[in-house]
Amino acid sequence: MDGFSEKLASKLHHYSVLPWNDVNGTVDPTTALMLTNYVFFLLIAAVVTLVFFLVAARRVALVPRGIGNIAEAGYEFIRNLCVDNMGKEGVKMAPFIGTLFFFILVNNVIGLIPGALPGTGSIGVTATWAVMVFIVYNYIGFKKNGFMGYLKSFIPSGVREMPPLGRYTLGPFIFVLEIVGHFLRPLTLAVRLFANMFAGGIILGIFGIFMILGVKSLGALGITMTGFGFMMLVIMYGFKVFVAFIQAYVFAILTSVYIGGALHASEH
Amino acid sequence: MEGSLNVLGAGIAYGLAAFGPGLGIGIIGGKAVEAMARQPEMAGKVQTTMFIAIAFTEALALLGFVLALILSA
Repeated sequence: MDGFSEKLASKLHHYSVLPWNDVNGTVDPTTALMLTNYVFFLLIAAVVTLVFFLVAARRVALVPRGIGNIAEAGYEFIRNLCVDNMGKEGVKMAPFIGTLFFFILVNNVIGLIPGALPGTGSIGVTATWAVMVFIVYNYIGFKKNGFMGYLKSFIPSGVREMPPLGRYTLGPFIFVLEIVGHFLRPLTLAVRLFANMFAGGIILGIFGIFMILGVKSLGALGITMTGFGFMMLVIMYGFKVFVAFIQAYVFAILTSVYIGGALHASEH
Repeated sequence: MEGSLNVLGAGIAYGLAAFGPGLGIGIIGGKAVEAMARQPEMAGKVQTTMFIAIAFTEALALLGFVLALILSA
């Protein structure tokens, strides 16, 4: 299988963080400030999302048509998601969840275009959003329940109502465990989105390399490799379209679940 | 020599990390289908909960994937 490792290396090179217009590899990637290839497509996604919703919002009608119809259906989907997970107050959070959902969705879909990269395939991007979500839901929790009220909610009411011995031994232990769990939330949010989008591209690339190598080497093995590579490429591409939607949905729904938990922290 | 052992370790790490979550997601999906077949009117709610549960389980496998990337780099 000669040539496989070099091709894989060049494919991985395409997915590594590089200056966006660095064709010859002359720019020093350790330079502190640069427009990387991921950020380039992230900016494109931002412009696409902005233009889409500005155009949709310009022609608000009682009976929406065309692009407005899509935007309205999308907003309704997000609003229902918010109300389901956060109750009546959730409507106020719909713009935040909606922005996250549509921006991530557009990023993921742009990543499906051959040659383009998903802006979400960079850990820096997803980590920033995850930290943002962490700050927002904790701020809401402290604001809604008061400082001590929110901290108290980290210990379940079942433990709080125990006799003093259980309360003072088990309580601190569970409190520490919950704090660690809360700090793991942004970590998993960031890694989930990043790993899904990053790995998807590499998998497609590997089957693409299979096809190229199969075409190059003639004979039964070559034909089998090309056929296998093509089949898997089509299947994985379809799966990637599915993943692009599901990951945006999962990010949005987990954010709303976290905010919902912070809103109703004092109830359980 | 050290590098090749790293790659081997990365492969084993990811394989083991995918094993548990694979079983877990299978159980979640199967139980969700059971619940939906029993109470079709609750299908929407079951689906939402299923996605949340899958997301938590899947995170473990993805941490293994990142670990494999770090090990093989």
